[in-house]
Amino acid sequence: MGCRIGEGMKMRVCVLFMEGTNCEDETRRAFEQIGLEAELVHLKQLTGDVIPELRRNLGDYSVLMIPGGWSAGDYVRAGAIFAARIKSKLREDIKDFIEDGKLVLGVCNGFQVLTELGLLPAFEGISETPEAALTNNANGRFQCRPVYLKHTGKCRFTEKIGEDNVLQIPVAHAEGRFTFGENDEKYLEKLIENEQIVFRYCRADGSDALGEFPWNPNGSLYDIAGICNPEKNVLGMMPHPERVVDGIQQADWTRKKKGRGDGRIFFESIRECLKRGF
Amino acid sequence: MPEPYRKILDNVYEIDLLEADDSDFERISKEKSLGLSLEELKKIRDYFKRERRNPTDVELEAFAQSWSEHCCYKSSKPILKRTVFTIKAPQNICVIAEDAGVVDFNKEYAYVVALESHNHPSALDPYGGAATGIGGILRDVVCMGAQPIALIDPLFFGPLNYKEKLPKGTKHPQYLFKGVVSGIADYGNRVGIPTIAGMVEFHESYISNCLVNVGCIGIIRKDEVVHSRVGNVGDVYIMAGGKTGRDGIHGVSFASAELGEESEKKDIPAVQLGYAIMKEPLMHACLEANKKKLLTGMKDFGGGGLSCVSSEMAYAGNKGAVIELDNVPLKQEGMAPWEIWVSESQERMMMSVRPENVKKVLKIFEFWDVPATVVGRADDTKRIKAVYKGKTVLDLDLDFLLKGVVYDRPAKYVARDEADPGFKMPDLEDTALRMLNSPRVGSRESIIRRYDHEVRGNTILKPMQGKINHQTHGDAAVIKPLVDSFQGLAITADVNPIFCKQDPYWGAASAVDEAVRNLVSVNSRPHSMADCLNFGNPEKEDRMADLIKACEGLYFAANAFETPFVSGNVSLYNEGVKGPIAPTPTLLGIGIVKDVRKTVSSDLKETGNILYLVGKTGQEMGGSEYYRMLGLKGGLVPRVYPEKTKKSMNCILKAMDKKLVRSCHDLSTGGLLVAAAEMAFGGDLGVELDISEGNMRTDYKLFSESNGRWLIEVRKKDAERFESVVDAKKIGRTTKDGKLKIKDGKIDLELPLEELRDKWDAALEKE
Amino acid sequence: MDYKVEVRIELKQGVIDAEGETIQKSLKLLGYPIEKVSSVKVYIIEVKAISKEDAEKKINEACRRLLANPVIQNYSLSVKNA
Repeated sequence: MGCRIGEGMKMRVCVLFMEGTNCEDETRRAFEQIGLEAELVHLKQLTGDVIPELRRNLGDYSVLMIPGGWSAGDYVRAGAIFAARIKSKLREDIKDFIEDGKLVLGVCNGFQVLTELGLLPAFEGISETPEAALTNNANGRFQCRPVYLKHTGKCRFTEKIGEDNVLQIPVAHAEGRFTFGENDEKYLEKLIENEQIVFRYCRADGSDALGEFPWNPNGSLYDIAGICNPEKNVLGMMPHPERVVDGIQQADWTRKKKGRGDGRIFFESIRECLKRGF
Repeated sequence: MPEPYRKILDNVYEIDLLEADDSDFERISKEKSLGLSLEELKKIRDYFKRERRNPTDVELEAFAQSWSEHCCYKSSKPILKRTVFTIKAPQNICVIAEDAGVVDFNKEYAYVVALESHNHPSALDPYGGAATGIGGILRDVVCMGAQPIALIDPLFFGPLNYKEKLPKGTKHPQYLFKGVVSGIADYGNRVGIPTIAGMVEFHESYISNCLVNVGCIGIIRKDEVVHSRVGNVGDVYIMAGGKTGRDGIHGVSFASAELGEESEKKDIPAVQLGYAIMKEPLMHACLEANKKKLLTGMKDFGGGGLSCVSSEMAYAGNKGAVIELDNVPLKQEGMAPWEIWVSESQERMMMSVRPENVKKVLKIFEFWDVPATVVGRADDTKRIKAVYKGKTVLDLDLDFLLKGVVYDRPAKYVARDEADPGFKMPDLEDTALRMLNSPRVGSRESIIRRYDHEVRGNTILKPMQGKINHQTHGDAAVIKPLVDSFQGLAITADVNPIFCKQDPYWGAASAVDEAVRNLVSVNSRPHSMADCLNFGNPEKEDRMADLIKACEGLYFAANAFETPFVSGNVSLYNEGVKGPIAPTPTLLGIGIVKDVRKTVSSDLKETGNILYLVGKTGQEMGGSEYYRMLGLKGGLVPRVYPEKTKKSMNCILKAMDKKLVRSCHDLSTGGLLVAAAEMAFGGDLGVELDISEGNMRTDYKLFSESNGRWLIEVRKKDAERFESVVDAKKIGRTTKDGKLKIKDGKIDLELPLEELRDKWDAALEKE
Repeated sequence: MDYKVEVRIELKQGVIDAEGETIQKSLKLLGYPIEKVSSVKVYIIEVKAISKEDAEKKINEACRRLLANPVIQNYSLSVKNA
């Protein structure tokens, strides 16, 4: 795949939001803390439904980030309305963006949006209808808690994290159970084969969660917490790395020697990926 | 009796007050659900005599709003003015006077505090009632121009396993509990403000009248504070947010009366429906307009709707105003002017704006897709007017409307039996297990995890603390509100209604002491408080007396601790099926954390450390969980010794600043045993205590809930330094054997922590 | 012409219905002998179309584009004259 990002190009992050998105501020802050320029962009600014001076062009950014929240109240299904609105007006822009090898990242509600958009798992390219779902947590409840994640994948922009490294990052969602519905087995095999599983919930020592609560907080298939597309430049994940950039944001920091938050390496990895220009 | 109503316009009636006799007054008040007393109606009649005309129905409704207990605090004001309002402190910037209190944070910033009740709506529709409670408290903070940064929700229910038959129209505590928690979760999580603290209490008196108190903290640059008043004559009123509908009509009169059997059917319109996804952009738009200095005033639509918001803003600015009812965007056709005037539909804000800035403001709201409409204008008449179809349907003197009525209600205190019952000490191991399994003591994790407590990324100390998946209750949560400063705010919610039932004075004072303890536990200096006073029917002398005693107790303790009450609310007429609710003066305590990197959590850190007890344990068992569990009555409610406790507080904070404290937990419900167990749970460690000193009975030593006490973990190597700073008693150490061992002279207790934890986890609902 | 289309969205068999189960538990707590609750979403949509078939076609498309996720949900619709 050709790559147009590199030296001399502005490495700007588009943090895309609409009504109900609510993690945009800390997401921008996380990018800025590791030295990337990030801009909060309302969906209307990309679709052109605003006065000219507020309009933005997706092509001017290197990273598209869809943060967490409850876009449009998560009515219909989590992320569905956000996805439908993107699809109706920005379909081609996004397709070009991804084919250019730029990075797309969705966290929590953003992951739900990417799945609804058909950008993930995208076995055969962007799909018309969703191929997977992030549905109600197995215990039927919203969960806000720290979880352990094992970095199992080969996503382009998580390389710095290192294989099998364990991170402690919080989740906060009611609909995070990844499933292929009746095709669980068939498609799971494909995900594994394609090395599309980037993060899996695990125990503190890195051993498998085996679907057990609370290590796996939502009953996700194969403890899946985050996946990427086959081309490895679109990533969706339920946990919130932007909430743990600093050591004192970790849930158990008072028990440890202070230091960096486990989310920081995630953002640094994105920065390095951009610098590398693939 | 002649018909007292005369139609003067479509949907507008003139009401014949001038010629009315007592039975007419009664009929009018009842038919229109005004909730006004005979005396009050006569006062209104005399006013219209002076005006030489009869009122319209719109005008009578305006009085019903502004003169309700909820809006004008007519029963509580005299006592509040004598007590909690009088604490002066240098940190106060703008307190009590408006929707939220504004308090000094640092040179540039202030924090904003609001605390309110949403009790009666929640008792009828727990999900919707609780959700709109969150919505309302957020608006209270936003209307000062502040960014909300934290939500707090103290909740009170009847026993979840209540088996007796409930009266008709009363919902089961379990149903109310689930509905309220879901409402807070769904709404709070959607608006993206973390719910970081709260409390849940259970008592039989809350059956059928649960309490839902909601608090919010915000942060604001001092030069951006906007007040709830119009700035200038000629300023334009802009109404923004949701449309106005028939939901929430008569919410204030409903909040100012007892719930009855008929409430379920009759009062449902008084419950408003929330719309979180309108609120989120509404907050953005209001804050942006304020940041750009385009507003001269802002106030949220709360109780009393358009009537209260437009009148109060004009009155506070010493102006008058005209509102065009035809311009108000409506949810449904055919609404009568009085309905538009008093609707309490959610998600609405009122702003006053200089005429030249109106366009700019409307543009901001357009970007956020939030409807905003010009609905009126400020003038210099000191009267409030409403115009409908070109005709004035309301024209009232603001001073008369808003000065309202005040009552010094009679009170008669019913003394409680304070004698301690004689009883044999029960089996302690069994009692300990039962104690940890008590719904008042057990783990709140299954509730806490349903609220997003770290959205915005600023929650430094979370409500659950300790080793991952072994976490325990923290004393307070800590927020770091500013990007470029390590200064923080510690937040806690406290009250022990069982104490207050046994002794409203010392119960209320104990609530202050507990808030102070919790704030100190995390290494913050207590700075301010908000109070939500939930009591029974003030027209009954014993309830009124409890309210007065509680206010005096709050004043005594808070004044001594130099923590002013900066905001609050009074909710009366809370009467359950078994009489009045336990007096419940809920407190929200706020502390300043000098450096959030030095905050202390409640979980034990390492094995081999020393445990110290600060403060004195007394045989003060009145209102204790121990007595309640054993079915015992009487006893002395713990006293508060502010001077002693302040001394301990200062020493502990000093030791924490020197980093000598590894963990700290205050002693409250369930006493020493519960505190030690909770600390052990969080660290997944064992504890060995020797409490042989002193000659009190072992059960009193373990379960006394005396105030002014903390349990503190210190490294061995720091012991000497710690002892030189803090006056504390060495009472034990941390171990790794998974047991809680307690020695008292000849008595040796050995409790397996795993079993204790299981009981504690299962007390409410296992996570 | 105006048509009224009722869209009914159900979870596919085998997909855990957390909402239904939660409601079932709460109803039981209120004292009803209820063993199963399934949550179903119904949207009533008013649409302009040239014929009944056209209305059906339009809403079918809307279901595929937004209202139902085929991975976990089935949908059915019925069209009436408004």
